[in-house]
Amino acid sequence: MMVRVAYPNIFDELIEEFFTPALDVTPTVYPAIDILENDAATVVVAEVPGVKKEDVSLKYENNVLTISGERKPYEIPQDARILLNEMRVRKFTRSIEIPHDVDAEKITAEMNNGVLRVTLPKAEVARTRTIEIK
Amino acid sequence: MTALVPYTPTALTRYEMNERVVPPVTDIYETADSFVVKLDLPGATKESIKLQVEPRKLVVQSSITADESMNLLYSEIGRKRYYREFNIGDGINVEGIHASFEDGVLTITLPKTDEMKAREIKIQ
Repeated sequence: MMVRVAYPNIFDELIEEFFTPALDVTPTVYPAIDILENDAATVVVAEVPGVKKEDVSLKYENNVLTISGERKPYEIPQDARILLNEMRVRKFTRSIEIPHDVDAEKITAEMNNGVLRVTLPKAEVARTRTIEIK
Repeated sequence: MTALVPYTPTALTRYEMNERVVPPVTDIYETADSFVVKLDLPGATKESIKLQVEPRKLVVQSSITADESMNLLYSEIGRKRYYREFNIGDGINVEGIHASFEDGVLTITLPKTDEMKAREIKIQ
């Protein structure tokens, strides 16, 4: 089974990479994802640390799941002096094509410890089934 | 012998991947009375994070419990463990260091000792 993942703004990233120091640990494709699968569902896991539940939106259309959101800046005292700033991602959006039909009504999502988990149950036609020999 | 259907690896479990050591993305700022270190540790839990203060060194590490029960179709996160250390100088009140964990972000506050705090000197 193939999974297609969109890499948005490749060109912007190349420019950004050119100007950022080599030791930068900020990921260039954001958020980082894993795609897991079993007989019943496909699960998309995305790392979104520091993002509140209410600042994330999910859209599922034409077999494409789009995760978008915003990481709001944290409170920082006025007199603070910034010594290191690697957390640069603010707004993000990423689309993932799901390689099977999905029971769209039953898509669920949860957020825990900065990780978003979207469960996309396979539509009845896409499920693995055992065929009985008559 | 010729294979009828060529073998194509489609999915691998997390168990088959090598664990990587990843330095967490970090912000640090200084205020009049403390240093604040913020680290992105998505997937970690309050219990999995180990925070150690050694002489002149602050070590943050955490393992991640991966879901081994499903096939992995595509991976950027994979199996990993967080590790990062920071040098700390004198002037930190080690006893007063405290930390909190929210939405996958660890915030460590390192209070300055009284001698380190900025003081305004009055001109007489």
